[in-house]
Amino acid sequence: MLREKIEKHLLDVQKPSRYIGGEVGSIIKDKSKIDVRFAFCFPDTYDIGMSHLGMKILYSLTNERENYWCERCFAPSEDFEKIMRENDIPLYALESLDPIKDFDFIGFTMQYELSYTNVLNMLDLAGIPVFTRDRTEELTQIVVAGGPCVCNPEPLADFFDLFILGEGEEVNLELMDLYHKMKKQGASRKDFLREACKIEGIYVPEFYKFSYKPDGTIEKVETTNNAPEIVKKRIIKDFDKVYYPDNFVVPFTEIVHDRVSVEVLRGCLRGCRFCQAGFIYRPFREKKSGTIVEQTKCLCENTGYDEVSLASLSTSDHSEISPILSELIEYTADEKITLSLPSLRVDNFSEELLEKIKKVRKSGLTFAPEAATQRLRDAINKNVSEEEIMNTCRIAFEGGYSSVKLYFMMGLPTETDEDIIGIAELSQRIIDLFYSLPNKPKGRGVQISISCATFVPKPFTPFQFEAQDTREMIEHKQKLLLDSVNRKRVKVSYHDANVSILEAVLAKGDRRLCNVIYTAWKKGCKFDSWGEYFQFEKWVEAFNECNVDMSFYANRKIPYDEILAWEHLDYYISKEFFVRENRKAHEFTTTPHCRLKCSGCGVNKEIGGKCFD
Amino acid sequence: MIKLRAVFEKKDRAKYISHLDLNRCMLRTFRRSGLPIWYTEGFHSHPYFSFALALSLGYESSCEILDFNLNEEIPFDEVRDRLNAVMPYGMKIISVAEPKLKITAIAKAEYSFSLKSDNINALVADIERLLNNDEILVEKKTKKGIQSVNIRPFIEVISGVAGAGAYNMMMRLPAGTQTNYNPALFFTALKNFTEIPFEVADIKRTEILCADGKIFK
Repeated sequence: MLREKIEKHLLDVQKPSRYIGGEVGSIIKDKSKIDVRFAFCFPDTYDIGMSHLGMKILYSLTNERENYWCERCFAPSEDFEKIMRENDIPLYALESLDPIKDFDFIGFTMQYELSYTNVLNMLDLAGIPVFTRDRTEELTQIVVAGGPCVCNPEPLADFFDLFILGEGEEVNLELMDLYHKMKKQGASRKDFLREACKIEGIYVPEFYKFSYKPDGTIEKVETTNNAPEIVKKRIIKDFDKVYYPDNFVVPFTEIVHDRVSVEVLRGCLRGCRFCQAGFIYRPFREKKSGTIVEQTKCLCENTGYDEVSLASLSTSDHSEISPILSELIEYTADEKITLSLPSLRVDNFSEELLEKIKKVRKSGLTFAPEAATQRLRDAINKNVSEEEIMNTCRIAFEGGYSSVKLYFMMGLPTETDEDIIGIAELSQRIIDLFYSLPNKPKGRGVQISISCATFVPKPFTPFQFEAQDTREMIEHKQKLLLDSVNRKRVKVSYHDANVSILEAVLAKGDRRLCNVIYTAWKKGCKFDSWGEYFQFEKWVEAFNECNVDMSFYANRKIPYDEILAWEHLDYYISKEFFVRENRKAHEFTTTPHCRLKCSGCGVNKEIGGKCFD
Repeated sequence: MIKLRAVFEKKDRAKYISHLDLNRCMLRTFRRSGLPIWYTEGFHSHPYFSFALALSLGYESSCEILDFNLNEEIPFDEVRDRLNAVMPYGMKIISVAEPKLKITAIAKAEYSFSLKSDNINALVADIERLLNNDEILVEKKTKKGIQSVNIRPFIEVISGVAGAGAYNMMMRLPAGTQTNYNPALFFTALKNFTEIPFEVADIKRTEILCADGKIFK
């Protein structure tokens, strides 16, 4: 029995409770009564994967169906992987401890590009052929993926039987229902895929053939097996009523986000031109304040967590944020629960809001101006003015805060050295502001932390056409920033340029990258998002061996009329809109947020009318 | 404030919950139960939980002790049942009562375990030879660093039963706020002593005892 084999080695690994299940809230079913088994796989370790909200939602939702069983599966850490390989322990799911190769669905959530090699490693550990072409003809072991990265799934096309585009709450069950029906009929894998691709939101990559021009760009995409030419993503129409779990699996070991998380809104109305999440999750939809409060209470009571956080892309954009906070602050204070509020914006950060936040958190405040000069902020459509940034800092300082964390991006389209120096200048103005305040916090100096990410052009954004800075440019700018800031008061951190370059290639890549990913994994690449495991030189070797040029994907500006690798996928935002927004970026013209004025992105056509009343 | 003491078992998959994680796990269990937990006063208010003895990762137990406080008087059985309704799989409260003795009264603990070998007769013979020595020296981590200690005087063998491929032993060792001897010390000593390969399985703490051998309450 697999369990005995696992337990024999469990005390030889770090944090063994990650590998044995049994947590409160985990769902155990009698497998003799189950029709469809789904292994929900997160391509990273337990500590990271268990923090993912989407998994919690889809896990509970699937398990509401008596005859379906969704279980969890994560990438083992290096120590346990070694033991698994040495002792023929196949990758297994945490509830039943059964090998996932015997499951009907093996579903991955693709949250970041640097987890791609982990998918291959997990399939291999499971004993499932990594390439779809090597899998059985029988209807079993269907390998699927969803999540934000599948908006351009082409670099993964050879490894997955199908992709689920958009929100999974409805389509996952439709897919499982179809499988259940066809399994009873004795259908083959191919029969199933031919039917599955008729479900809205399901993309079966093997039914699409790409051809390329001599210059390497895409010539055309042809469909086979009567698959739809354009695959539309799925959207939940009534977000307030959508299924939300009343319980979470509560881990024993500490995980990254070890708390109750309540989703307050989905989508974003801001339209920052670099932000993929801001477009692919549209339209903007809110949960009603009553629903949010009720779900918070219910989850806190059922899990026993003493911390809750509100999850969204921009929590302060909720139209009822003030009453929601008032009610939650009262509840959490009574119950001795900590309330945390990530994702607040600078421009609507009022004194009233600060008063509320001050009651719940004592640590520093974090803001994301993203760019330091007004011209560049206009180019990226971050509709924040310097006055608003300074005003927010003033409110924060006067409210007793003496440290501020600021997020910036480097390498943005139209950026020059002045914009980088501008980051240092803006920090200095914030420092000066602090010391000019008569009612600043006493006895403490001001501390500014600057976290500077490298811009990665992403599909389904107005900057999808843009080239990323070359390594030389990125490194030059990083050095320039370090040389410009006041080192006593300002702490600067930035990412390894190679990480951002690989992200750009994988994000905008096409099917020719499948072999590169495979080759890199064969060379030992995995956990690429972990600094200590990232082996850029191995990736470079893989690209060279596969004759694929990284700069073709990362550093080439794409003409508006070129066929994009993701153009056959419809996320309801039109290409015309992205072109229009890209042009406006180069003219440093902003677009107001959706509540002020509809910018005509196209999503309202899907929802049949206006996004806002 | 009402002071209470629970005896609980930790078995099956729950044996992989580390001591550090156990505190958090109990806090969440109490919160789920809805019992009126007493919180410390002071700046960082937190509930009071105290485990009498730490249990090594991977060991089962049928006798763990948890001291905690409630704000209201609630029948012992009700406290037990409300906690058991929301306990993780493998953990169960056996009883809840008023604490009778101080934690410092704990003097020893009893363990059961199974030594598995293909050559069980030879292993049993070696165990007997080992235990017949007046001195069994092993390296033990103490506050002063690693020291060589003679564990023989502290080992109290309760029983030893040979079965098919396994020798099942019960043993008492010093435990408490001052000295703690983990059965792993004995396993190390045996590994150093015998040539016969063996594996240890099913380690379980079965009793927590006072100096006079009575069960700690």
